[in-house]
Amino acid sequence: MNLEDILPKEFLEPNIRLYSFILLIVIGLAALIAFPVKEYAGYIDPFYSPTLLIIPIIGLFRLTCYAFRKDYNRHLFKHPLQCPALPSADSSARAYTGETSLFMKIENYHRYFMYVALAVLPFFYYDLFVSLTYSGIFVLRLGSILMGLDVVLLTLYVFSCHSIRNLVGGRNDCYGCGLSAKMRKDVYKSQSFLNKHHRTFAWLSLLSIIAVDLFIRALTAGIGIDFVIMHVVL
Amino acid sequence: MNVCIKIFRHDPASDEQGRFVEYDVPFEEGMSVLDAVNYVSNYIDTSLSVRWNCKAARCGSCAAEIDNIPKLMCKTKITSDSVTVGPMRAFPLVKDLVTDITSNYDKLRSIKPFTPGKAQSGVWRMNEDDVVRSQEFRKCIECYLCMDVCHVMRLHNTNYVGPRHVIKAASIDMHPLDSLDRSVELKEKHGLGYCNVTKCCQDVCPEKIQITDNAIIPEKERAADAIYDPIIRLIRKIRGVK
Ligand code: SF4
Ligand code: SF4
Ligand code: FES
Repeated sequence: MNLEDILPKEFLEPNIRLYSFILLIVIGLAALIAFPVKEYAGYIDPFYSPTLLIIPIIGLFRLTCYAFRKDYNRHLFKHPLQCPALPSADSSARAYTGETSLFMKIENYHRYFMYVALAVLPFFYYDLFVSLTYSGIFVLRLGSILMGLDVVLLTLYVFSCHSIRNLVGGRNDCYGCGLSAKMRKDVYKSQSFLNKHHRTFAWLSLLSIIAVDLFIRALTAGIGIDFVIMHVVL
Repeated sequence: MNVCIKIFRHDPASDEQGRFVEYDVPFEEGMSVLDAVNYVSNYIDTSLSVRWNCKAARCGSCAAEIDNIPKLMCKTKITSDSVTVGPMRAFPLVKDLVTDITSNYDKLRSIKPFTPGKAQSGVWRMNEDDVVRSQEFRKCIECYLCMDVCHVMRLHNTNYVGPRHVIKAASIDMHPLDSLDRSVELKEKHGLGYCNVTKCCQDVCPEKIQITDNAIIPEKERAADAIYDPIIRLIRKIRGVK
């Protein structure tokens, strides 16, 4: 078996954008492993929530997410780079498999990674709680605000997932039928509203995770950018 | 003021290759690309072939590539002093701006037709929301712009049936009175897996149908229910739903 049978051809093309992206991921992962910052003053780093070992599965959740698929298929694999029919967009000389190749079939398993993501979500709420109460009193600091923002964005991201849309009504031919029809309809409609903004949540929640990580790293490095906004003696 | 319109000219019966020919057309306020093309065919070169019917973005006949973007000629206003018009390159050329879209009708026939189940107590009843849902897809005017913009249709020789036909299947699949499921067939026979959800089709649709979000992805998810999700399959079997 040679490399072309396993990897999609797009990985083997000269493609600076794709290579620099992979490099970025590798550097990021190396930084996480070589310079682990698990916790600082009650702030638990989001990459350790609950454990670094979960990252591959969460990574697969994002990789098989329809929002990210659109972005990497266009901008990293150039299938197609843009919609106007320009020669630079794509070409028939490039092999193309979509999600039919052995490697890309994994995109069909998105829902399983979504289940894991759902299960991980409560840990972020717990971390937020810890950051607010770690000193025995309720302290609201800048870091907790960032973590709060992060957990809200993550929740919106996971709950706006296309697989959840399928689960809460997309798969039903008659989503207004049966018992508690009104409630099911409302759930499906609200989820569809969130789903429209799935891509925005996908990117914002990725940025917010990195922001929280960098914030905690900065604190660990002795850069004092955190401050107390209010505290309440419990 | 004149508009310079570059039109693709190719008569496969006599020319080996096509080329873009420039014409100068007097500009009028509110002029559409179709107006300019018609001006050329009426006053400059009557041998120019172009297909149109309604001039109101209803019939879908005047689909073309305007400055490389698939659009309806009658709905596109001229906004600069030059514009390029070519035929839809995803389909075989008949002549100039006219392409042969017959393959689409064969594809439409290959989608299993509406197959109603048993009416409950002899009366068909449909919830309004369910009507609205599949009605979105019925707005399709069959211009085939979505098929033309799709890189899978244009460039890659696959068995993918194409966005227009996935919404056709979805419009029947999501009909509450229909008794079949077409998602597995879409996936296995009609190459749905070749679509990589890049959404160019829904960007060009003149009827603003959310092709990828409301038809393609839901059909992919339904196929995943049936093929990749043993748990869902089991639950459906126990509950006896399709
Ligand atoms: S979303 Fe799918 S069907 Fe639509 S243009 Fe892209 S590849 Fe083609
Ligand atoms: S879905 Fe939209 S773009 Fe495609 S044929 Fe119908 S109206 Fe045209
Ligand atoms: S002429 Fe009918 S859609 Fe343009």
